[in-house]
Amino acid sequence: MNVGTVESRIRAWAEKRRLPEAHLVRWLALAQEDRAALLETAERLRLRTGQFVTALELLEEIALRDGESIAGVLARSEIRRILEGTGSAPGRAHSLVEQLRVARFPRLKRTIERLRTEIVGLALPPGIRVVLPVDLGSDELRIEIRANGGAELERLICAIDRHAAGLRRIAEMLGGADEV
Amino acid sequence: MKFELDVVLIEERCRSSALAARLASAVAPEVEVRYVPDGRESARPLAGERDPFAAAKRRLVVMERRAPFLMGCPAGSAEFACCGYLVLVTASNCPMDCSYCFLQEYVADNPGLQVYANYAAAFDELERLGRSAPGRSFRVGTGELADSLAFDTLTAISRDLVEYFAQRENLLLELKTKTDEVGNLLTMDPCGRTLVSWTLSPTRVYESSEHRTAPPAARIEAARGVLEAGYKVGFHLDPLIAYPEAEHDYGELIENLFDVIPPQRISFVSMGGLRMTPALRAVARRRFPGDPMLLAGEEVLGRDGRMRSFTPLRMRLFASIRARIERRAPKMPLYLCMESASAYERVFGATPATPAALGARLVGR
Repeated sequence: MNVGTVESRIRAWAEKRRLPEAHLVRWLALAQEDRAALLETAERLRLRTGQFVTALELLEEIALRDGESIAGVLARSEIRRILEGTGSAPGRAHSLVEQLRVARFPRLKRTIERLRTEIVGLALPPGIRVVLPVDLGSDELRIEIRANGGAELERLICAIDRHAAGLRRIAEMLGGADEV
Repeated sequence: MKFELDVVLIEERCRSSALAARLASAVAPEVEVRYVPDGRESARPLAGERDPFAAAKRRLVVMERRAPFLMGCPAGSAEFACCGYLVLVTASNCPMDCSYCFLQEYVADNPGLQVYANYAAAFDELERLGRSAPGRSFRVGTGELADSLAFDTLTAISRDLVEYFAQRENLLLELKTKTDEVGNLLTMDPCGRTLVSWTLSPTRVYESSEHRTAPPAARIEAARGVLEAGYKVGFHLDPLIAYPEAEHDYGELIENLFDVIPPQRISFVSMGGLRMTPALRAVARRRFPGDPMLLAGEEVLGRDGRMRSFTPLRMRLFASIRARIERRAPKMPLYLCMESASAYERVFGATPATPAALGARLVGR
């Protein structure tokens, strides 16, 4: 793609999506290959403005941390699968942002997955919910009980008691007991 | 003195101070020395600079401090398990330029390098402190809003401080630094009342983030020098950055440290995870867009409004470093900075002591 064409298409996309000037400047400041790859992504998935801004920030951070170009990140197989997939554009746009978050926070995502697997493995009865802290930003484990009537409450409390060891293990995982 | 200055600005009312005289005679001849009516104005960020914070690091302002010299540690809070550290503000800002430094936000409105000519007035405050709680010991440091030794070859403030503290039984001076500027210290006898501490990071962090600081090996070597001269020494593994190779690198750093400094002669080691407010992170990212360490620890927003590595990752790194230290130094006093009581329990398996009790333990060794 010719440089002028890419720039005019970027400007057209930005105008149509009312992309704030600061983000347009950041986009245009990228290397030619990076800005073209980002344009292809934005057009193909019909990214909304907010999604674009989030994706740009995540891409910049992943690229810096991994010593790779933005175009290189967008060429990763897991990203290409989304870009070239057959689902709806909004669905794929959502998947892209999620996949970029996984790439930006790989250890966090793995840890959350492990914790969720542990929680599911407890097979707690309906009415008990184990809530992890947002982004594991603290070590607080919250257990919610929703009961209608004393008998149900007692039954749920007993269930928590039966699963105390498993719940304790989850609380310890939150404190770094397992390898991350 | 290895930090370059463009200008030294001396407040008129400090013209006849000993500090102004020392500085004016010690700066390199090419550095302009000027007198200004109000140092506070000179410390403000300069308009028109692309990076006013960086520009301010080349402008040294000798001025009077109008506020008290002694304050509680700005990192202290009821939500953290604290160490009872007190800060003596003899200077503000630092000629080094670490990408993660909180001063980028904390002194953004007055970033000029300030040195306070009336610092001897701090001794009255220290006298009152010493009398306020007989029998209690206090650890008082100058390295929170500035590096304690960065300009010491110019200012020689350390000499007056070391001499003062040498005569005070319940006060311990902590000089905290990332330099190897210990020349003045080596000529003094601290009488066991001054501790020099170094912030230590693995080479990977030093090279990526700690601009114009002394290399880690030079810091450790400087620590060996002051230890031999009769000073206590301590080390701050702070900020710990939880990048993927961190456990290995910090472990290696600890081994290197203990190979040079016998662990039983180290007063304490502190640990603190990298923490940044979103505003600080934005400034740091803008000023150091190419530093991957600012992103390497998978930092997320916590309840106190600061971004840290997500909790299990951070706790695991603390625990791993604790184990590594205790393998060679089982009795090493360790503490966490800016972490909750529950984090302390996770890492040490015990509830934290009160700030006063922890402070006394750190002062005592």
